[in-house]
Amino acid sequence: MKVSTRLTRTVLTAGLSAGMLFAGAATITGGALAAEYPAKPVELIVPYAAGGGTDLVARAFADAAKKQLPQSMGVVNKTGGGGAVGLTEIMAARPDGYKIGMGTVEITLLPHMGVARFTVDDFTPIARLNAEPSAITVKADAPWKTVEEFLEHAKANPGKVRIGNSGTGAIWHLAAEALEEKTGTTFNHVPFDGANPAVTSLLGGHIEAVSVSPAEVSSQLAAGQLRMLAVMAEQRSKTFPDVPTLKEKGVDLSVATWRGIVVPKKTPAAVVDTLRTASKAAAEDQAFRDQLAKMNLTWAYADGPEFGQVMQKDNAFFKDLMTKLGMAK
Amino acid sequence: MHELDLLMNGFVTLASNPLALLLALVGVALGIFIGALPGLTATMGVAILLPFTFGMDPVSGLLMISGVFFGGVYGGSVTAILLRIPGTPAAAATAMDGFELTRKGMAGVALGTATLSSFLGGTASIIVLIFLAPILAGFALKFSASESFALAVFGLSIIASISGRSVIKGLIAGFLGLLIATVGMDPMDGFPRFTGGYTELFNVPFIPVMIGLFAAAEAFKTLEDPKVRLGMAAALGRIIPEWATFRRLLGTVARSTGLGVAIGIIPGAGADIAAYVAYNEAKRFSKTPENYGKGELAGVAACESGANGCTGGALLTMLTLGIPGDAVTAVMLGALTLQGLQPGPLLFKEHAELVFTLFAGMLFCYVAMLVIGLGSLRFMGRVLQMPKSVLTPVILLLCIVGTYAINNSLFDIGIMLAAGVAGYFMQKWDFPASPVVLALIMGPMAEANFRRALSLSGGSYDFLYTRPITVVLLTIAILTLFLPLVKRWRSHRAETRQTGAASSLNQA
Repeated sequence: MKVSTRLTRTVLTAGLSAGMLFAGAATITGGALAAEYPAKPVELIVPYAAGGGTDLVARAFADAAKKQLPQSMGVVNKTGGGGAVGLTEIMAARPDGYKIGMGTVEITLLPHMGVARFTVDDFTPIARLNAEPSAITVKADAPWKTVEEFLEHAKANPGKVRIGNSGTGAIWHLAAEALEEKTGTTFNHVPFDGANPAVTSLLGGHIEAVSVSPAEVSSQLAAGQLRMLAVMAEQRSKTFPDVPTLKEKGVDLSVATWRGIVVPKKTPAAVVDTLRTASKAAAEDQAFRDQLAKMNLTWAYADGPEFGQVMQKDNAFFKDLMTKLGMAK
Repeated sequence: MHELDLLMNGFVTLASNPLALLLALVGVALGIFIGALPGLTATMGVAILLPFTFGMDPVSGLLMISGVFFGGVYGGSVTAILLRIPGTPAAAATAMDGFELTRKGMAGVALGTATLSSFLGGTASIIVLIFLAPILAGFALKFSASESFALAVFGLSIIASISGRSVIKGLIAGFLGLLIATVGMDPMDGFPRFTGGYTELFNVPFIPVMIGLFAAAEAFKTLEDPKVRLGMAAALGRIIPEWATFRRLLGTVARSTGLGVAIGIIPGAGADIAAYVAYNEAKRFSKTPENYGKGELAGVAACESGANGCTGGALLTMLTLGIPGDAVTAVMLGALTLQGLQPGPLLFKEHAELVFTLFAGMLFCYVAMLVIGLGSLRFMGRVLQMPKSVLTPVILLLCIVGTYAINNSLFDIGIMLAAGVAGYFMQKWDFPASPVVLALIMGPMAEANFRRALSLSGGSYDFLYTRPITVVLLTIAILTLFLPLVKRWRSHRAETRQTGAASSLNQA
């Protein structure tokens, strides 16, 4: 008993000191090591629960990135606070490239609501992987065949048309608010605990419309239970080419959620470059694209600088919108 | 019977796919293991397993995931009964009577009953899924915010029946749970409440509180006791309950399964709610309701068949409408789409063969669960023979690791330990822990849906009495709360009258 205790203690001490040495070496020669990055497995923080859309994109990406990096990439879910907990963790991570994150559109939303310690400038964008537009979907037996009819009805009956969203302050709520603002209509916004319950409520006829993404209603659309009136995107969706964009209908509005790889601001340029090259190759891997397509997710690769522009543009747009709505703090 | 033919074909197809059967077995075993560990839930197991199924054929991959789902719902009961560690929120209900049975030295029969009831409840729910899916699918859509609110109120009223000796103390514990449930993000406006600036508190830390109140509190309590072993029967003794005993439980199992299936179909309500509702109804219909909470076998049977009955119900809405009723089926929906199958009304038409092969496999999963469960119980029961000096630290370690695993958060461990200390004193002063857990499940559901219903009705309170399902559920809730009081008052009055009559007789 005594021997084994001593043995354990020795092993523990040895392990600890080795770990400390290693950590020390890493800090001292951080710059020199950048050339050999990555020398150990990379942790990919996902701010949402395992099994959700963001998690699935992250896991498919981590799988594809294996072929591009000498080290593996492990997915770690840090949930809570509508994404705030995980995003904060990414922001506060040591900027050495070993803890990178899956950034989502919430980076440009949460800071304005006063619930986050980060801003969009705390992250260096690496690559956007996926983007989903908002869409206006109604029941198949609803009286409105086009988005014009729908908006006209909403205008004639202010506050009567109930639009379900995935939660107050979440991207689909803001999409509906932006539509309201652009078209001079007044909706009754009903928040649900995620997109699925909102769709259920629409199917049951308890609300008139939802503003969630096409992917989240695709099976009900295929079955002819729901009808999509318009997507809030620059171009029509490839999966639903018959559905017009709002732009075509004279409403200049495109709102989309996106997911992509981000790192803390102070990450060295060499590490950022390595990650960008690897991410580009991983994102363009056919297996990754197929995986996304299977999950009804839209592949939307954009390299770091371009991704950064999208982030800045969205940040300004949502800041403006939320200030107008009185949601900003 | 068209469905029966399809099912038979399904069994034939399945028999020619030994890999799928093997993976289903592995899934069930894994699920039981994951379910038994505190903090690790079926949702997490399914999510972690999902990437591994990418490369498998649809039947194998989906059966493995189903196996984890079913095993995970059942597995929570084993540690709940043996050690009062609920592996899942539903098992917190099982622990109420299950652990009392262990204290009485009847751990074996309790475990056996839990296994048999889980098997019966689960199998029956799959059979309902196979034959009645299209008919029942519409039920889910009738449920809007006002109905969910009424269900949550009914759930809260159950506090009256799980309070144990003192209803007042139960209600105090319930209100404590409701207070804790108000911490976090406001469900409608997204405004943080009582978070003190901690982002970690934005979501009500429900599972850490549960693990702390039950498992950690129990571990702290055993530290007090100078005895080396737990003092329960060293051997498990009989596992499969005697037929005469189990036959009396069959009515409870049938009723609980029905409730479980119905609750599973309702969007946003899962195994945890089903277990508590089933327990409440079992007690309501019991001839000996006073035994509940003191180690009643029917209590264990009700919780387990209710929780497992949920699995078929949850799968039903997911497969027929493409709407996941809970977190596990949400991940399974992803698994189906990944395999190129679009859940929803067209699934049964376009992929009938595959769907019925899956159903056959799900029935196989439940048989596998029964066999693995009964086979491993004796081995798991050894846990009770461990000296306390080993067992107690191991339990505390499991609590910490399990809590950390939920969100990879040290903050949650702090919450769990604080809840453990609170739970220890609650036990000392005879406050029951279950009402806290129940309030944590039902409180946020009631609040969010009440406010959502108000938003849907444009601010009118009419939904409280104009919607039939809402009215029925609210009435049952009121009855559940007040019937015991009325009964007690009446028996009290009858007693005084009798004694009054007796004394007047004496005088005469």
